[in-house]
Amino acid sequence: MSRNARRGWLVATATMMAICLFAIWQSLLLSLTDRLGPGPGFFSFWLSLLGMLFAGLLIFDVWRKPVVESDETLFPRGESAFRVLIIIGAVAGAALLMGWLGFELAMLVFIAGLTFALGERRWYAIGLFAIAGSFGVYYVFTRWLDVLLPPGPWAA
Amino acid sequence: MDSLGYLMSGLGAALSFNNLLFAFAGCVLGTLIGVLPGLGPAAGTAILIPLTFNLDATGAIIMLCAIYYGAMYGGTITSVLINVPGEAASVVTCIDGYQMAKQGRAGSALAIAAIGSFVGGIVATILLVAVAAPLASLALKFGPAEFFALMVAGLCLVVGLAGRNILAALLMTALGLLLSLIGMDPVRGAPRFTFGIEELYDGIGFVPVVMGLFGVGELLLAAEARQSHLIQADLKKWYPSRDEWRRSSGAIGRGTVIGFVLGLIPGVGAIVPTFMAYVLEKRISKNPERFGKGAIEGVASAETANNAYANGSMVPLLALGVPSSPTIAVLMGAFIVNGLTPGPFLFQEKPELVWTVIASFFVGNVLLLILNLPLVGLWARLLKIPFAYLCTGVLIFCIIGAYGLKQSLFDVWVMLGFGVLGYVLRKLDFPIAPAILALILGPMMEKSLRTTLEISGGSFAIFLDRPLALALLAVPLIVLAAIALRPRAFANLRQTDIE
Repeated sequence: MSRNARRGWLVATATMMAICLFAIWQSLLLSLTDRLGPGPGFFSFWLSLLGMLFAGLLIFDVWRKPVVESDETLFPRGESAFRVLIIIGAVAGAALLMGWLGFELAMLVFIAGLTFALGERRWYAIGLFAIAGSFGVYYVFTRWLDVLLPPGPWAA
Repeated sequence: MDSLGYLMSGLGAALSFNNLLFAFAGCVLGTLIGVLPGLGPAAGTAILIPLTFNLDATGAIIMLCAIYYGAMYGGTITSVLINVPGEAASVVTCIDGYQMAKQGRAGSALAIAAIGSFVGGIVATILLVAVAAPLASLALKFGPAEFFALMVAGLCLVVGLAGRNILAALLMTALGLLLSLIGMDPVRGAPRFTFGIEELYDGIGFVPVVMGLFGVGELLLAAEARQSHLIQADLKKWYPSRDEWRRSSGAIGRGTVIGFVLGLIPGVGAIVPTFMAYVLEKRISKNPERFGKGAIEGVASAETANNAYANGSMVPLLALGVPSSPTIAVLMGAFIVNGLTPGPFLFQEKPELVWTVIASFFVGNVLLLILNLPLVGLWARLLKIPFAYLCTGVLIFCIIGAYGLKQSLFDVWVMLGFGVLGYVLRKLDFPIAPAILALILGPMMEKSLRTTLEISGGSFAIFLDRPLALALLAVPLIVLAAIALRPRAFANLRQTDIE
């Protein structure tokens, strides 16, 4: 295991351990047992306790593993990192815009922006794809498949 | 009516125009998903769930099952033509399939894979018909203690057999189960872990979580490393030669048996039967040195086992309500979204639906063969779709899927959050499958355990009084103990899988 991978495992496992600890606290706020038998906190309490145990053992296991010196990084850099971040940002942007502009306009912006950011430079192709992916998909899903999607501001 | 009568009636329903259309659409979409590198069957099935939101339950399940086995076959095309498995189960196909493509025999490799998949799928479905109903009848005798033990056994087998790191797999199982507890307590009705957030009262949606972990997570990984080494193969000559037929027929038979039997065991991922079938062929071959250099029986055995496994793994889902892999867990989620709980009661309460779905497996396998033999060149062309369009298109489906079930933008954020989490966990090589299975089984496990303890007045000794429950609980203990005592043997098996 490389130094970076070990660091990643330790951080991830410690975070999971913290989640289990939090869940133990939350379970104790609920009743563990009542007169009918196990209460709402029963299952989550014992699960979190088991989770804590597994996380502790895993941290110990990772800690004692020999470290291999390597330049290998866990997460990408440069162009690869840009692509990953731009996708995350685009989905977050679409989720924000959908509430205000409705599905069609939000998707139009999302598709045009993301395809451009991922390397497409032909404007007519971006435009056609964006219109098909926003207005076209909206039409298919709402009219043919009866799936409700957020309507645009003009719908009211 | 007996099983055969129900099957015949199901076949009639499966051949109705609508259901035939759903099966056809599922096969096309599934193959498309399988062809596109970076999207496995679990991700593909998850992101296409929104297409079925408003279909009737039978049509929705038929389409999603067709997507599943379509994706299992579609992965073969990328394995042969670009040496990149479309999904994990096709890793073994790369070994000889890509070599055959380099020798100009891509058409034969893809044709024998399609025929092997067809035979494996059809025979496995016949065996499914024979096994599923009696198993479901037996499971009807189960009480809550046995159901709890069965789910524990299923989860532990997934942890023990599929996880590379058993402690990490156990931790992920615990976290998946904890996640499933968010929302209203199923027995007392009290809110848990909701923190006053209204959207959490219904619990964390299974669809946004799987779309995030599989759809968005896999896409982020694919965005990191774009690659393409497409071989310009002559796919007009696809019919295998007489010698290739002779070499493949035995491999197809053996692959079917291995795939179906291993499909019955929860936790045995699709890669294990394909690998075992491949190794068996190599061991019994008179010329084992040909393997790895373009042996057609290597492709035939792996692909047959892959599809027989896909159909075999439906047995524990339909008869016992236990998903054996993440993709089957996604399918189980789709059943639940449609108001159906897979398991023995489904055979009793909705026999016409179960048997129509089973009958549709036969129809789907025939459609898949028709689609894949003559149209293989068309599928290969899809590999040229630029990543910018592929990625954006998949994300549109993910957003619609996450939003569409409850019309909640909160679920889109949940999907994105789990997408980032899935990406990070994959980068670290944390096992995700146990968490997904735990997420779907969690509410049922809790309910079974609490009902059992209410019956016994809070005493765990009830498990000792019920021999079947005790035996089922012993299975995971034995598996976990075996792995703990002989970790090297299991590590070697998985290492060989990868190589």
